[in-house]
Amino acid sequence: YRFSRGRLREYARLLGAAIAADRHRGLAVQVGRDTDIAVALSSLPGLQGSDRDPAALLVQLSSRSQAYPKNSEDKIVWSGCFCCVYGDDLSENLPEDFTCLPLFLANGAETYTSIVGSWFQKTFDCSFRRLAISPLSLSWMVAMWAGCKVDKGASAVELVFSVPCLSQPLDISYAIHPEDAKALWDTVQKTPGEITQEEVDVFMDCLYSHFHRHFKIRLSAAKLVKVSTAIAQAHCDGVVKILHSQYLSGVLMLLTELAITQIQ
Amino acid sequence: MDETVAEYIRRTVLKIPRDEIKMMLQKWGFLSEAQLQTLNFHQVKDNISQDVVQLCEENSADIKQAAVLDIIYNHTYHNKRMWSVYQMKKTGEELEYFDLTDFKKKFKKRLRSALKNVTITFREYEDNAIWIRVAWGTPSRKPNQYKPSYVVYHSQTPYAFISASVLKSNLPLLCQALVVASNYHDIREMELRSHSLNSLKDIVFKRYSQNFQTYCPKPLQEKNVEPENVDLRIVQENRSEKERIQRVNQEVFGDGPQPILEFAHYRLETMFKSDPKMDILDKKEPFRCLVKFSSPHLLESLKSLAPAGMADAPLSPLLTCIPQKARNYFRIREKKGLFPETFVSP
Repeated sequence: YRFSRGRLREYARLLGAAIAADRHRGLAVQVGRDTDIAVALSSLPGLQGSDRDPAALLVQLSSRSQAYPKNSEDKIVWSGCFCCVYGDDLSENLPEDFTCLPLFLANGAETYTSIVGSWFQKTFDCSFRRLAISPLSLSWMVAMWAGCKVDKGASAVELVFSVPCLSQPLDISYAIHPEDAKALWDTVQKTPGEITQEEVDVFMDCLYSHFHRHFKIRLSAAKLVKVSTAIAQAHCDGVVKILHSQYLSGVLMLLTELAITQIQ
Repeated sequence: MDETVAEYIRRTVLKIPRDEIKMMLQKWGFLSEAQLQTLNFHQVKDNISQDVVQLCEENSADIKQAAVLDIIYNHTYHNKRMWSVYQMKKTGEELEYFDLTDFKKKFKKRLRSALKNVTITFREYEDNAIWIRVAWGTPSRKPNQYKPSYVVYHSQTPYAFISASVLKSNLPLLCQALVVASNYHDIREMELRSHSLNSLKDIVFKRYSQNFQTYCPKPLQEKNVEPENVDLRIVQENRSEKERIQRVNQEVFGDGPQPILEFAHYRLETMFKSDPKMDILDKKEPFRCLVKFSSPHLLESLKSLAPAGMADAPLSPLLTCIPQKARNYFRIREKKGLFPETFVSP
């Protein structure tokens, strides 16, 4: 609420002050008494889906040694990025004075993430929550990404299942050769460029039945917790790794959609 | 005393949990009881280890004694290492009398003829287990004491359990020395690995309670699987199915505790077969997969899958054969011929 692109410098200063205050109270990561945290806010115009999406906002925290400011370079200790990729659903019904960037990507220590999060929450009346990715969404991701064309030597398409409620916990990793996974997806997908829930279900059922044929175990009853392909990896806790720059926009679009769904 | 030996002893003592240090030093027997009395085992570990080094200095410890302490540590905490199982083969049938002195002599001779800089230490334990520790060097460098290999050889059996160091290149030499010293003629690595050394021994020495495929005992009427609910309003819908699953599980896994394994790997190279209705992927090439099961106690967790409703009973023989086949690495290919549904595991 009432976020203004023109005041980025001021916001950076205020956020920096908030971080310094936190460190005084001993709440922040102890980087060392002689280091300062510098905050930089900038717009990232490239990271959008359509023109209707607001430009992404990049927040970077870097540390510089106070004792030897000339010798050491600024080291980026934490980065965060607010973005919106094809978030048409939200921006349509947005009241005035509101900027909507539903997806927040953070990289770095959890303590910084929470300080930055609380400052934004207080200053712009927004709310942060970890994006939990359901097994349903994970199966969408693996089906979509397994179908992407990749180079030779690409990593396997891996699904990781967890079976916690047994006498002893069991983890099952099911990794498929990327060419074979793509071949399977290609026979399942009927219309190129379009994916339906039914197609994802068929794809997953094929994988489950192949597994059941060998081990007599019903994977569909286990919890899908992580998927990994050459394009990207995603974990149900909301930890995502993007491996192929070509598909960055596609991955972010999917995540934006998930974020919007959770908001709604 | 050599500084490197002092440092090695200090670091070894630091690894030991504080409450166990006295006992381990006693097992070691290098420091006298009187010397041990002078040690304060209630101070910080850092100080204890310094004091121990001081005493070892008085006794002029060398690397041989330090290596023995390391063996004792690793024998006590054998579950910290990953062990692989090796099986040796003899040409003839003769059961030769095992001569420990001869074994040690031949082992050392074989290793030293190939590598000058090695530290070799032996220690015998109960049930004919011989622990061998080898620290590896190069022609120009003294042995690296921090990355030794361990061999546990049971002299009355053709089995050896090896925990190699990171330097895999020394493994063939180690195997060779073992074969020569024990009068066998060949050695092969079994596809069986685990942190639990005792479980590996249980599996290869068949010390766990096995299932007997031919004998199917009828379940005893009095034997209750789970305590029944006292509340009579709760009725078990699938009672007979539940009992069938328990019975089948028992037949397949046996009654006793399962050997502890942490993982099983399956490399699948079988054809993909789907429901004929689905009309999917009729490729002529195999559907290549790599499946890994992992758990703190794999066999127990597999055993509880069917009762939890997550698997059919009986569970696939690919999983239940692990202890009998004494392996947890498999490569499964399609069996050609009459029964395309069955698999071969080479």
